Amino acid sequence: MTVAEDFVIEMLHITKVFPGIKANDDITLQLKRGEIHALLGENGAGKSTLMSVLFGLYQAEQGTIKKDGKEVQIKDPNDANRLGIGMVHQHFKLVECFSVLDNIILGVEDTKHGFLQKDEARKKVMALSEKYGLRVEPDALVSDISVGMQQRVEILKMLYRDNEILIFDEPTAVLTPQEIKELMEIMRGFKAEGKSILFITHKLSEIMAVADRCSVLRKGKYIGTVDIADTTREELSRMMVGRDVEFEIDKKSKNVGDVILSVKDMVVASKAHNNNAVKGVSFDVHAGEIVCIAGIEGNGQTELVYGLTGLEPLKSGTIELCGRDITHATIRERSKAGMSHIPEDRHKHGLVLDYTLEQNLVLQRYWEPRFQNHGIIKSAEVRTYAEGLIEKFDVRSGQGPVTTARSMSGGNQQKAIIAREIDKDPQLLIAVQPTRGLDVGAIEYIHNQLIEERDKGRAVLLISLELDEVRSLSDRILVIYEGEIVGDFDSVAMEELGLYMAGAKRKDRKEAAS
Amino acid sequence: MSILANIISLTIVFAVPLMLVALGGMYSEHSGVINLALEGIMVIGALCACFTLQAFDTSGFGKVHPQIAMLVAIIVAAVTGMVFSLLLAFAAINLKADQTIGGTALNTFAPAFAVVMTWAIQGQGLTTIQIPSWIRITQENFGLEPGKGFWDMLIFKYFYLTTPIAIVLFFAAWILMYKTKFGLRLRACGEHPQAADSVGINVYRMRYAGVLISGFLAGIGGIAYTIAVGSGFNSSVGGYGFLALAVMIFGNWKPVQILGSAVFFALFKVIAAYNSSIPFLPKFEGMKDQSSLYQMLPYIVTMIVLIFTSKHSQAPKAEGIPYDKGSR
Amino acid sequence: MNKKPLAENQMLLTILASVISIAAGLIFGSVLLMILNPAKAGIGISAMLTTGFSSMDQFGKVLYQSAPLMLCGLSVGFAFKTGMFNIGATGQYTIGAFLALVGAIAFQLPWWACLLLSLIGGAVWGIFPGLFKALFNVNEVITSIMFNWIGMFLVNLLLANMPIMLASAWGASNSDRTANLAQANPGAVIPKGGLDALFGNSSWINISVFIAIIFAVICWFILEKTTFGYELKACGYNKESARYAGINANRNIVSSMIIAGALSGLGGGLYYLAGTIQYVLEKKTLAMGFNGIPVALLANSNPIGTIFSSLFISYIQVGGSAMQPNFSSESTDIIIAVIIYLAAFALLMKGVIQRFLESKIARKSDPGAGETKNDTSGDATNAASGAAAEDAAADEADDPEDVAAGPESGAAEDAGEVEK
Repeated sequence: MTVAEDFVIEMLHITKVFPGIKANDDITLQLKRGEIHALLGENGAGKSTLMSVLFGLYQAEQGTIKKDGKEVQIKDPNDANRLGIGMVHQHFKLVECFSVLDNIILGVEDTKHGFLQKDEARKKVMALSEKYGLRVEPDALVSDISVGMQQRVEILKMLYRDNEILIFDEPTAVLTPQEIKELMEIMRGFKAEGKSILFITHKLSEIMAVADRCSVLRKGKYIGTVDIADTTREELSRMMVGRDVEFEIDKKSKNVGDVILSVKDMVVASKAHNNNAVKGVSFDVHAGEIVCIAGIEGNGQTELVYGLTGLEPLKSGTIELCGRDITHATIRERSKAGMSHIPEDRHKHGLVLDYTLEQNLVLQRYWEPRFQNHGIIKSAEVRTYAEGLIEKFDVRSGQGPVTTARSMSGGNQQKAIIAREIDKDPQLLIAVQPTRGLDVGAIEYIHNQLIEERDKGRAVLLISLELDEVRSLSDRILVIYEGEIVGDFDSVAMEELGLYMAGAKRKDRKEAAS
Repeated sequence: MSILANIISLTIVFAVPLMLVALGGMYSEHSGVINLALEGIMVIGALCACFTLQAFDTSGFGKVHPQIAMLVAIIVAAVTGMVFSLLLAFAAINLKADQTIGGTALNTFAPAFAVVMTWAIQGQGLTTIQIPSWIRITQENFGLEPGKGFWDMLIFKYFYLTTPIAIVLFFAAWILMYKTKFGLRLRACGEHPQAADSVGINVYRMRYAGVLISGFLAGIGGIAYTIAVGSGFNSSVGGYGFLALAVMIFGNWKPVQILGSAVFFALFKVIAAYNSSIPFLPKFEGMKDQSSLYQMLPYIVTMIVLIFTSKHSQAPKAEGIPYDKGSR
Repeated sequence: MNKKPLAENQMLLTILASVISIAAGLIFGSVLLMILNPAKAGIGISAMLTTGFSSMDQFGKVLYQSAPLMLCGLSVGFAFKTGMFNIGATGQYTIGAFLALVGAIAFQLPWWACLLLSLIGGAVWGIFPGLFKALFNVNEVITSIMFNWIGMFLVNLLLANMPIMLASAWGASNSDRTANLAQANPGAVIPKGGLDALFGNSSWINISVFIAIIFAVICWFILEKTTFGYELKACGYNKESARYAGINANRNIVSSMIIAGALSGLGGGLYYLAGTIQYVLEKKTLAMGFNGIPVALLANSNPIGTIFSSLFISYIQVGGSAMQPNFSSESTDIIIAVIIYLAAFALLMKGVIQRFLESKIARKSDPGAGETKNDTSGDATNAASGAAAEDAAADEADDPEDVAAGPESGAAEDAGEVEK
């Protein structure tokens, strides 16, 4: 890189450490004036952390930030704003019961004799709206407008503050295809105006469509920056996924049995926006196979699992477990029918953190006659059972069965959940990101457990964001993208899988089913 | 007619504390802090204002300049209310404590403190602080002849400085909440503190402001209540702090509606006291103590309203949740 | 290896926090008295601290008053365990007292039947906050406060219209209070069980404190030993994981409020069936229910702890009345207020201390955080050894909200539920 290049923002050798983990490890990012610069990476690659450092939400331990070649300190969002840096957050920061206009002026209000003056602001907002094609209704309440318009409000917030450097954090995750197209147009408009854009995403098609350059992060490290004109999707996919770590697990060939889980045309509403999160998904899982649902976070996996396990009702569609219709069954009934669920969030769902380990180990079966008699818990039986599980699954803790779950390490908390769910002897085991945030040893252990279940002839449905995990464990891979199954493979190359996950390729249903 | 004048006049004088305190609760909740301590703050404000009035009475200043003395007493009530509410602000904002438990502590503290102080200052067993009679605004203040006509009764029977001040504070509240940048920012903090933070608003400072203003208003509300009751201050405000919470909820956390519901609740209080002498009220033959019935009604109405409004409650979304800058 | 089990530390921590709160309250109260009346402060303080043990009669009074306090404390504590703040104990207490007295005076029932009525009355009044929360998601604090007043006015209204209930119907002159039970129905007075002889013919003592202790034990048993208690606590700690485990959270909220209400109601029955006190038609809500809050907070909602905390509060209240005429008996309420104030963030402080202790333990026991087993068999050797502490940290970095929520995450989530 030559000195002559005109960088508006330079983040040099940024290192940000959270307790026990390096979220950003010596990352350098240079943003040219008037370019659209994409930031690509898998979940946990450190993209959001890096942008939070730039926006003043986090302070980096090492490294410097330069604006127009001069070193600057960004301690909070106010500093960022003064430097002309604005950000559209992934989760919008809008006050729902305020009007669009009030949201835009909040924090930079004009006043006269202490009274709010909105006329000037309204004119400016309308002018900006006109200029960039950002259609909004200034007097509508935010709670009444569509997600797309809410995003336009967020963009107008930046423009109203005359920001020159615009950060978009996964802006397309909640938008419809039409809205995405509009957003791309708007971004091009900004570029034409000379504004500089940082665009966080993991959708390759969007990068190819709109970005000038792309920087890739992987596991907190900087991989490289490429010109979009000189690259291909395949290359980007390879950079994002990497090939350095590949677990090879000894796996017997599969011995597929009857259909255990059968899902037909499942639709689940989203809590975050008005669109459905799961849009008519159908698939089967057989005894003796691990079916993996691969995809990038936020493509409907969470809602799919909630629908399957009964945490959220279905809008339409049916679920059958071992030939029995459980579409409207309660959570407890599903559990009794042979469904086990290793949840995505072990703190929110998986454990009662203030309960002891033994209390947590019977969370799904404390009501069984084995553990209670006329409503009175058989403490001795619970203790014996818990000790058995602790021994069998090697769950380690300070005081064995009476340890408070909160005080256990993440890996052992997860082992406790897995012990509980597997020991229920389920027909179907649903495991959602079972190795999230765990160290290598624990991951290997959990993978072996899942394979053991499969070899025992149980059906395993694994939802994972980790491609390594998907590849090494699955007998069959379903790719989920924007709430739909876009691919169904017995085996597939990594780069290929990346393309499907990023929505760059899809097989239609018939082809997928064959 | 004189009954009607009496009822209207009494309704106004009882609506004043209810509205002031409910407005106080509104400020606090719009900033994101549930202020259960309104009752306690009222007690402290009333206590200090009553002592001030008593001091003016003994010094003789009060008889010469009654309204100046009254104004000073009101200011004392407001300031002590603010100081007392600092305890809630500190616990709720800095220590991120449970706001309802913190409020309960202040409610337990205030009446006990008032009794202990009253004893200490007035002597053993004297639990009531008498309010001097010169605080009332009379016809003479305006150079008018004293009279017993309808308008005389309506305006001057229970006319105290707190009433015009309450009217001013009401308009101030409406303007402050909806016409100034302070109001906009305050409401943002109670609805979505993360959003407020992301546009550079200091959430902690706004919440302190909200709680302190509620202390200011509840303090004045305390003395206004004591004046309205008229029988002196005996370390209690009769649950008006809690009633004001109901007024605030009933008023949808909005100034104009709070004014309306304060009048509504005050009217029921007055009817409860005067039900036997009001000709147009339904008479339940043979029922004794009908005042309890009328006193109970506002609470029942509030509960029924809550059932219907809970699905789309206008309550500030982030109220009661301590704000932590670290979490996103 | 850490020798001291953490559970024991936590118990110790809780007791320590309560003792600190009490000490702070006493110091604050004493300093206030010294400022107000330096000459008499010594007498006042010693009256407060010693009266309860000064005679068997006074000690009898401590026990007598502790019974309703204990039940109100149990009520508040039981609701706390399910994640509810029952500020409505006083309303439930009032309704319970009323029904007990109706049973005693109007229907001439024996004492145990009256107590049963008080239990039912309180339970009915407890349904409302539970139901409003479960069905309409109305904050239980608001409902409880409203129903405190509704309850008080309702009782006033009903008593005024039941002439037989009032003292004036039984030969006394006053109609502002209920009849003296000794005249109206001696059979409804809770028996003294021979305790009066033991307590120097104290007019206060009866078996109510033992009834309260039995209920404390029952509460403990329900919470600790039954599947019902297991479900209730799971809802209180984490509503989402309770749902995940197939527990019906709404049903549990209502059940726990019914039980909490029944406990408060019984407290009202025990207090007014002693025969020493008559129910006076009040214009303000009764303090007893509110005093259940500090009792529960001091005991950290533990039923067995409630026995001791209610005895303590009762003890200083009896001491408080003996401070008259030098000081008002309300002085003790100031101490109670300080205790509640500190309890508001005691949970937080405990969390901080606990994490501090844990990090120390983790550092001491080496290798691998907090392990007692040295089982190295299986493929999973890597999983635990050494990496455990690190992966816990990594896990926290994974979801920063969780870290921030810390020990109170349950409460925070609950607050979140209210707003939705």
